[in-house]
Amino acid sequence: MSRLEERYRRVLRLLPAGYRRQWEDDMVAAFLETMQTGDAETDEYLADHGRPSLAEMTSILSLAVRLRIGGPDAPPRPYVWGQAVRLAVLTGVLTQAAMATVGLAVTLWLTGALSWLPAPASEWALVPPIGTWQATLHVAGYAWLPAFLALVLGHRRVAQAVAVIAIAPQAVTVAVEQAAGPAPLTVAAWAMLVVELLLLVAMSAVHRDGVPVARRRWLLALPVGILAVPVPLFVAQASMPALRLLDWPGLCCVLVVVAMVVHLGVRAFRPPSRTLPWSLALVILAATALVQRTATLPDLVGQVQRTALLTIASVQIVAVLAVGVPLAVLAFRLLRHLPSVSAAAQPPHTAD
Amino acid sequence: MTEPTFFVLTALLDGPRHGYGIVAEVTDLSQGRVRLKIGSLYGALDRLVGGGLIELDREEAWQGRLRRYYRLTERGRHALDAEARRLAANARLASIRLRRQNPIEGTSA
Repeated sequence: MSRLEERYRRVLRLLPAGYRRQWEDDMVAAFLETMQTGDAETDEYLADHGRPSLAEMTSILSLAVRLRIGGPDAPPRPYVWGQAVRLAVLTGVLTQAAMATVGLAVTLWLTGALSWLPAPASEWALVPPIGTWQATLHVAGYAWLPAFLALVLGHRRVAQAVAVIAIAPQAVTVAVEQAAGPAPLTVAAWAMLVVELLLLVAMSAVHRDGVPVARRRWLLALPVGILAVPVPLFVAQASMPALRLLDWPGLCCVLVVVAMVVHLGVRAFRPPSRTLPWSLALVILAATALVQRTATLPDLVGQVQRTALLTIASVQIVAVLAVGVPLAVLAFRLLRHLPSVSAAAQPPHTAD
Repeated sequence: MTEPTFFVLTALLDGPRHGYGIVAEVTDLSQGRVRLKIGSLYGALDRLVGGGLIELDREEAWQGRLRRYYRLTERGRHALDAEARRLAANARLASIRLRRQNPIEGTSA
């Protein structure tokens, strides 16, 4: 086996084992032929020193993603993973949209545009954005709301383009402040950016291969979500200053723990195979929340109330682990019984 | 039907071909515009075999390796025919409109 073949086979390891059993040798033969130039000396050199091009590696990577995060025609295991990723992405974008909507409402309230609401206290007086850039940054964040609506209504590419509007100014700000800002930047700013970028990429899994999204439920989830989380949270934080110790990574932990507890309750009364995509979606969200919380711990050390903040963060980590690990064990045990390669595809379900 | 899938089926119209044979034929057919990467080719082949549009024709030994040849099935021929008609109808629509815009020369400006 030539070095080139070894290298190519290493790239092919990205593909699921079942798929490789069926196609690997054929793919290797075809690839090696594409590398032949007709000149014996060049071919010999390439066999030793050649590497698969970036385009070839990307094509294998995207095939691997497509096979592992399957659509309705995929075997049961990749299909369930696909559903889980789609549910996790929709939930993530929903969270961003709900927060953006309430942020918009609060800004309108503070500027006096919502006159039917009681006037804000003087301590809440709005600090006007210092420059055009800050104003742009502020407004761009609201783009998550149209992005969510476009995603649910089936315009995935529009949703991604709109999400770029939300993310790009923030990315530039984080990079510029990191390079030239007066104070060292917090990990939280980077963590939020990374999560949003992941969300943007993972949006590609929604609506792929014609997997339908339960539109009515997800559209209903937006007002319900807004009324259930950011509105009461804003009111509570406005009236009880102690609650302001709950930062964004902390809030994500609290939300995912509550969601997992509710899910475990629902799961007890339904056939486990039906709830498996949601179980896995929550495991993905819990893992993301956990990584975000752990990565942002250094931010808390520099705070005045560090003891309280670190205690709260530790409780959040323990809570996510205490509920998330048993759920993950249950979900993976069930997943193992599903075939990863099979001609018998499961009937399509909506991503609900 | 995606463009790679369309070209793979077209490449198999005049007889069975193996993986690299399809890549080379598609490059030829599209005059170098479509250069199939192996990942895209086998993504398409896997789906086409699964959907019964192509099937394994034979295996041949070549330079110590096994070459697998694929052939178009009747179902694949029908699918390609339907897609070709659809594309032709779309192209006709565009041509008619273009001619209407510039009826004297019969071409667009």
